[in-house]
Formats: sequence, structure tokens, C-alpha cells
Amino acid sequence: MKALLRNISICLSILLIVACNATPDITDAMLDGDVIFDPSLYAPEDYLVSAKYPSPTQEDLKKHVLIAAHGYSASTFEWHEFAEWSADSSYRISSVLLDGHGRTYEDFRASKWEDWRAAIIREFELLEDLGYTKISLVGSSTSGALLLELMESGYFNSHIKPKNIFLIDPIVVPTAKLQSLAGIIGPMIVFLEVDQTAEEDKYWYHFRPQETVNELNQVIQKVRKGLEKGVTVPSGTYVKSFHSKNDPTASTTSTVLIYKGLKNSDGSKVDVQLMDSDIHVFTRLSLRPSVSPKELSNQLDAFTQISKRLK
Amino acid sequence: MKTRFFIVFLFCASFHIQAQQLNVGIRLQKTQQMYWENGISAQYSFANFKPNRLFVGFDFVTSRLGTAMNSNALKQDSYIFSGSWYFFKNKPFHLIGRLNTGYFNADLEYEIFDDLPSSAFLLAPEIGFNYSPKELPIALNMGLGYYLSMQDENKSPGTLQPMYYHLTMYYKLFNQKK
Repeated sequence: MKALLRNISICLSILLIVACNATPDITDAMLDGDVIFDPSLYAPEDYLVSAKYPSPTQEDLKKHVLIAAHGYSASTFEWHEFAEWSADSSYRISSVLLDGHGRTYEDFRASKWEDWRAAIIREFELLEDLGYTKISLVGSSTSGALLLELMESGYFNSHIKPKNIFLIDPIVVPTAKLQSLAGIIGPMIVFLEVDQTAEEDKYWYHFRPQETVNELNQVIQKVRKGLEKGVTVPSGTYVKSFHSKNDPTASTTSTVLIYKGLKNSDGSKVDVQLMDSDIHVFTRLSLRPSVSPKELSNQLDAFTQISKRLK
Repeated sequence: MKTRFFIVFLFCASFHIQAQQLNVGIRLQKTQQMYWENGISAQYSFANFKPNRLFVGFDFVTSRLGTAMNSNALKQDSYIFSGSWYFFKNKPFHLIGRLNTGYFNADLEYEIFDDLPSSAFLLAPEIGFNYSPKELPIALNMGLGYYLSMQDENKSPGTLQPMYYHLTMYYKLFNQKK
């Protein structure tokens, strides 16, 4: 018995040492490398309203600005379609790149969830300081959780209240059951490799460091516990959560928990809509292997609803 | 009242006739990255078949007695049947191998979520320890289990997460010496 236990512990130690030394096989064709970076890092004025209009006129300040934030391991590409769709609209879009994202694998690995959130706060406060009063936010997946965390932590108590907060497939509970074990098995697996196309490799990390999965788990745990206690939406802010019925990444139960735990300031329930969809972040259809008319219809529905509230 | 008492007496007596050991107790359970779900537990060892070795059991745990108490957490219940094998039967400490099966149901409460998965069949291997001092009528049982995925993950209730650990405190209703 003792010999068996000793052999098992030796094997586990070897596995741990080998795993800790494992490095992902990153190529220059991946966002993870040091060749491809998110374009917003080179030309922030093409992505951020605060950078494009550092001295806004009164006419500029009358416009509604939507801060669009992407999900875990993604980049500004995730909201590119909505920006294109909105090209002729009266509102403006600030497509933020979460800190730690769109850079190298090592930058991503070193980032904390608070860093991811910092990019949203930075743009919100820059716009606020510039004098914008009509600011809305939309967050997909992890950014949905980050926006919920901002409400849960009372961030907006000392800032202007957003006009709208839209959540697209927000993650509070993961669909992947093994994600809850990241803190235990993470040091042994070091990173996760994602099965995605070469084109997607330019906009989403191909390798996901276990440290960042733990960060993701931390923020969704914080949000879930906050929702259990109850979170109140800032006064005057409209909130809607859209969620794919069969979301393969962010369990649709996330939106159940949001519906139960998030209340408008008058005590009423927030709006939710379940989409007849099997994809995660159903608003991003670009680079999908195939797009059905139903998916196009879902995307148009969400885009139209969001844009109508940005007057 | 007398009838009820008689039925309970007959129930206990029937166990007494057949059982080597009957333990009842409370179970405190935490799922990794999810809820506290607490409840009741009973386990039973046959007098004539692997006494104090093989236990069959029933557990009921619910978030209603855990995280969902006075909170917005989902109310969810698990009905678990189990078979356990106790190693080192003549010592107060036992290593336990256990196989659980059962049914899970979460109450999503609102009609708009009727199409979402809310129930699942459970199958979970478990390892654990039991401390059962012979001179005391109590036993402490700790277990670490893992719910095997029986369906596509996006068809499984979101709040059913795989790894759980529990502490169960038993009162030994009777413990026949063989």
C-alpha cells in the first residue's frame, strides 16, 4: 500500500514538473504571438470616442455613446460587425480592448480580471470627464459579467448613470463543467488550447493560460454571490440581457440568475430575451463556419433593439 | 397519534430485525464553485450480507437549506441513492468507496425559462473517510465526489457542477454486534 502511494506521488510530481514547464507552441500567425496585436493599440482613435474626439463640441456631446466590450480571450473584433452595421447611425461606438487582451500570450497570462475591467472604466470616465451624458454599455460574455460587477460593487453610485446596459450571453455560470475545477487541475494543464480556425487565431487567443481561467472564475463567482444577495440597477438605467438558449460557453442559467438577482431601482425585473441559438456571443457572426438565416435574424434583432435605445 | 407511533415503531423494528447498522444524520455539502446544499442522510448495513462492509444509503440535499436560504440562489434538490464499501472494517477509521445515483432538479421559477434544462440524472463515484468510534453512537463521514456528465453540457442544468464535498454526521440508531 505504502509503495503504491509512493509511486503515485512520484508520478504526480513528475507530471506537475513537466506540466509547469510546458509552453504553448505559439506562431506568428496567432494573436498570442508578438507579431499580431489588436489594431486598437495602434490606432485608438479608430476605436475609442474619447481618442477620436478629445475636444468634443456641444454637438458631439449631444450624441449617445455606446461602450462595447468583448469577452474573455477575444478582441475588438467581436463588436466590429455592430460598428459596421451602425456606420450611418447618430450614436457613436467606443469599442474597448480589455486590458491584458490583444497583446502577447504572456501579457494575457499576467492580467487580472480587474485589469480587464479597467479598460471599460477608463473609457467611461474619459467620456464622463469630457462631458458626455448619454453613455450606454454593452458587454458580451465576460464583459457581461464585468458590467454586472460594476453594478454589484456600486461603481455607478459616484458616476453618471448609464442610459442602458446590454448583456449579450453574459457568463455567470460556465457551460463547461470542468471550468469549475480550474483552480485544482489548472497548474497541471498550464493552458488550454482552443479549436478555432487560423483566421480566428488572429482575433482570439489560441492558448488560454490557466491563470486567466482562474481570474475568470473569480469574477463570475463574485458576480454570482452578488446576485444571490441582490443587485440594484442604477436609477434610470435600462438593462436587458440577451442569451442564446443553448449557449455552449456561458450557461443560459446565467441569465436566470441575473433575472432573479438583478432588480431595477423601482424593484421591477430587468428585461431578458432568450434567443433560439446554439452559439456563444450570437451577435458575432463573422468568421463563423456557417451562418443560418435564424442566426442572422437573431443578430439583427439584438442590433435593432440596442440601436433603438441609443437615441 | 397512536397509529402513527405504531407505524414508526413497526418501521424501526423491521430495520432492527434485518439491519446490522442503521445510521441517520445530517449532511452538509458544498459544490466546487457553486452552492451549499444541506440535507439528511441515512445508511444501512445488512445483518446477513457483508455487515458493516456494504452500506446502502439515501441522501436528500437541497440548496433550500443552504445557499438559497434567504437569497436569490436557485432552489435545487438532489435525491441520491448510494452503495458504499467500507475498507478496514475493524478499525474506527474507514476508507470508503461509494457510488451514487439519483435525480437532480432545479426550480427555475419563471415561465420564460421553461425551455431551459433544469433536471438531470446523477451518477457520481465518491471516495471518503469515516470515523466511527465503537464506544460512541456517532459517526463522521467525509466524501469527495464527482458527478459524471450524463448529457451534453449545454443540455445540463447550469448550477449542477461536477465536484462536491460533504461532511455527514450520523447517529447510529442501532449497531448490532454479530
